[in-house]
Amino acid sequence: MKLSNMWRKPSRWAVFRIDDRPLLMVIGLIVGVCSGLAALALNRSLEAMFEWLHHYRHYWWAFILPGAGAALSSLFLDKVVKEGAGHGVPEVIYSVSRYGGLLRFRSAWSRLVSACLTIGSGGSAGPEAPVVMSGSAIGSNIARFFSLNDRQRVTIVGCGAAGAISSIFNAPIAGMVFTMEVVLGEWTARNIVPIAIASVAGTEVSRFLQGNQIAFSHPGFHIDLADIAACVGLAVVTAAASVLLTRALRSMHHVSARVPAAPWVRAMIGGCAVGLIGFALPVVMGEGYHSIREMITNTFEGGVVIAAAAVLAKVLATSLTLGWGGSGGIFAPCLVVGSLAGLAYHRFIALLMPSVDWVPEGCFALLGMAGLVSGILQAPLTGIFLIVEITGGYGVILPLILVSAISTTLCHYVEPASFYLKDLMDRGHLLRPGTDARVLSDLSVMELLETDCITVSPNMSLRDFIEVIKRSHRNHFPVEAEDAGEFVGMIQLHDIRPYLFDPVMYDAVILEQIMDPRPDVIHPNEDLLEVLQRMDAKRLFSMPVVADRRFLGMISKATLLDQYRKELRVQTVISG
Amino acid sequence: MEPKLFHIFRNTPLGRETLLQSVYFCKTMGAELEIYIPEYTKFLMYFENDVVQIDLDASYLTAPETARDHAAALAEAGKTRYGFLAPKHFTASTLPDIPTHFDFMCCPRSISDLSSKMGLGYIGPRVRRIVQSAQFPVLITSAAFKPWQSIAVFFGGSANAVKSLKLGLRLSRITGMPLRMYTQMENYSKADYQKVIADNGLEDAVANETAEWRFFETSDFGVNLYEVAHDALVILGAFGHGVIRDVLFGSKMEKIQSIMPNNLLIVGPKYAAIH
Repeated sequence: MKLSNMWRKPSRWAVFRIDDRPLLMVIGLIVGVCSGLAALALNRSLEAMFEWLHHYRHYWWAFILPGAGAALSSLFLDKVVKEGAGHGVPEVIYSVSRYGGLLRFRSAWSRLVSACLTIGSGGSAGPEAPVVMSGSAIGSNIARFFSLNDRQRVTIVGCGAAGAISSIFNAPIAGMVFTMEVVLGEWTARNIVPIAIASVAGTEVSRFLQGNQIAFSHPGFHIDLADIAACVGLAVVTAAASVLLTRALRSMHHVSARVPAAPWVRAMIGGCAVGLIGFALPVVMGEGYHSIREMITNTFEGGVVIAAAAVLAKVLATSLTLGWGGSGGIFAPCLVVGSLAGLAYHRFIALLMPSVDWVPEGCFALLGMAGLVSGILQAPLTGIFLIVEITGGYGVILPLILVSAISTTLCHYVEPASFYLKDLMDRGHLLRPGTDARVLSDLSVMELLETDCITVSPNMSLRDFIEVIKRSHRNHFPVEAEDAGEFVGMIQLHDIRPYLFDPVMYDAVILEQIMDPRPDVIHPNEDLLEVLQRMDAKRLFSMPVVADRRFLGMISKATLLDQYRKELRVQTVISG
Repeated sequence: MEPKLFHIFRNTPLGRETLLQSVYFCKTMGAELEIYIPEYTKFLMYFENDVVQIDLDASYLTAPETARDHAAALAEAGKTRYGFLAPKHFTASTLPDIPTHFDFMCCPRSISDLSSKMGLGYIGPRVRRIVQSAQFPVLITSAAFKPWQSIAVFFGGSANAVKSLKLGLRLSRITGMPLRMYTQMENYSKADYQKVIADNGLEDAVANETAEWRFFETSDFGVNLYEVAHDALVILGAFGHGVIRDVLFGSKMEKIQSIMPNNLLIVGPKYAAIH
């Protein structure tokens, strides 16, 4: 290898050939810094845009601002960078599970711009998913630059996601846990170290450039047994809100798809509707962190009805923004809806039982956030650690665990797949490590093809066929037309059993009479998971592979499972 | 199994010419034609270490109701085995993933820009990315259908040139068409080039299977290209250099694609040669 090319392929250096963890740690550090900077860039841009547009928000026409922002965002994605709308996290998960984390370079910056336009103008969405997309794409492209293999690239993509989340929330553990729990879907020692380093790097970038700020600091809460008991009810409320938000987002997407208008027009309609809701309830506008601070410090005004109405309004605004074509994520809306739900629930039980000395409502707002994040992402650890870190303490850890665990469980009953994974699971595109689909996705029909089959002709007599059987160790025989060589059917040993003990029939029967002319066949491009499912459903142990009416070979369940075991061992050893 | 050529069909007169080239290639090579009729203006190709988003020129979506019939009619008229590719996987709802396991792919000089931009000297950025990343050679067709009657391989002694030569020899064996090699002499002697051939075990193949190995000794490569037959399929390696490797190929490749209107079969750096 030329010296000039060697630095582009560090994984081939002798020092990293035996153990590539130091290499992944170094690249993870670089990626963590880059993704942290990307997250900060979006954060700063949002602040600047909020400030710039703040002076116009009191005008009657201000409801147009979120519409204009969403329309510009949609136009940017559709016409300039030619990407689809959406928050991007499912795209990252899809790429990780199917294509070893390959992501386009343009995704490293496109979502930052589009999310800035949507959220900065007042759209109800969060910047976290776009920064995850951006960080992951940065990681993927740095891994590509250094010619890392699929497994290494997946780890580096995880580093990008972790660095971004850590930076934007100033929460290194949450970044790490989110990546392992949601993006990669596996906890392996090999992944954890580089991802932890990226999280630290992302957090340090954030702390260095904007100080060590706790996003939602609170005065500290003293929690009694009554409060913990009330948390069960809060978990039910947050689970219900999670399901409501998930379904609203999905149904709004279907509704908007039926509107015969250009994507940017739809995004504008959604954005303007959010602007109109914002006149009545300003809490729904933008990412909503200011409102969360008010709720946690017990300064949010209004009674239980206002808080409950705000929950519904925020759900509606978020689904209008994202479902109609705006760009952004659901993390921040989850936090706002969760804190509003917690607040509404606290005010409701305080009304019901005024004699009980409840913990201040800010505590329930905080627990509500954890419930919502855990419920909608079905990732309880992410919810717990995120809230612990962004609120700056472990004081509420016990009710936090309780709410997150119950909310996740309840949501799982109603919606078996999380918001990020639902579409991927519906399309059969989610290949989590260690699953059948994941193991088999690395194998192909052609790799398992058994070609040591003896083909027979439809005109062959049973006597001749018995001679063929004597020199074959197989039970299945493909039948091919003599002239064109086309596959015309299959014959199996049990097909000839009725004639086997009657020598008179040996010359009277030809194979065409007893073969199966329409056997189940496999196409070379079929997925092996589907092949295995078909074999199971029809109780078959072997199937012919046919392309263009030509017999190519056989696939047997024994070979398939044998290769499955070998591949599983490879994947487990590699990822372990 | 027969080799497969992947073709993205454009239902326009220009697209017809390109498909005719593919049909001829498949018929001559005994390859199967895999036609993709796009429903969206973009798709992704996931290669081994790269993902390329192809943003098609809007003309690829022209008259979708007749596209399939037109493509089928051309393939049937050319008596080529063909099939239509339907994407199974989608990165996003309007962003299909196109498989990359083909043996060849056919492209016009550009697939993302307006056809009016096409001309000698221009190969679009997406086509360049495909060449750089693909494990298959890319057939870049001339604007109008022209059957090729011989094979011309440009051999400069590099690893990619060796791969091109192997591909040329393979095509020559399959099609029975004469193979001519061309080498622009620069800082090396004939013996140096012959040594490369010998080092790669191609000495006998070159001696027995090539009709001619022409060495250009005059310095103007552009002028020398007139010697190449007008109806030859030109096979050459393309390898980008330095930080602009995605934008520009080597100087010889750029010169050839700027001057020659022939059909080009370009071998990228990731191509794994089958000899």
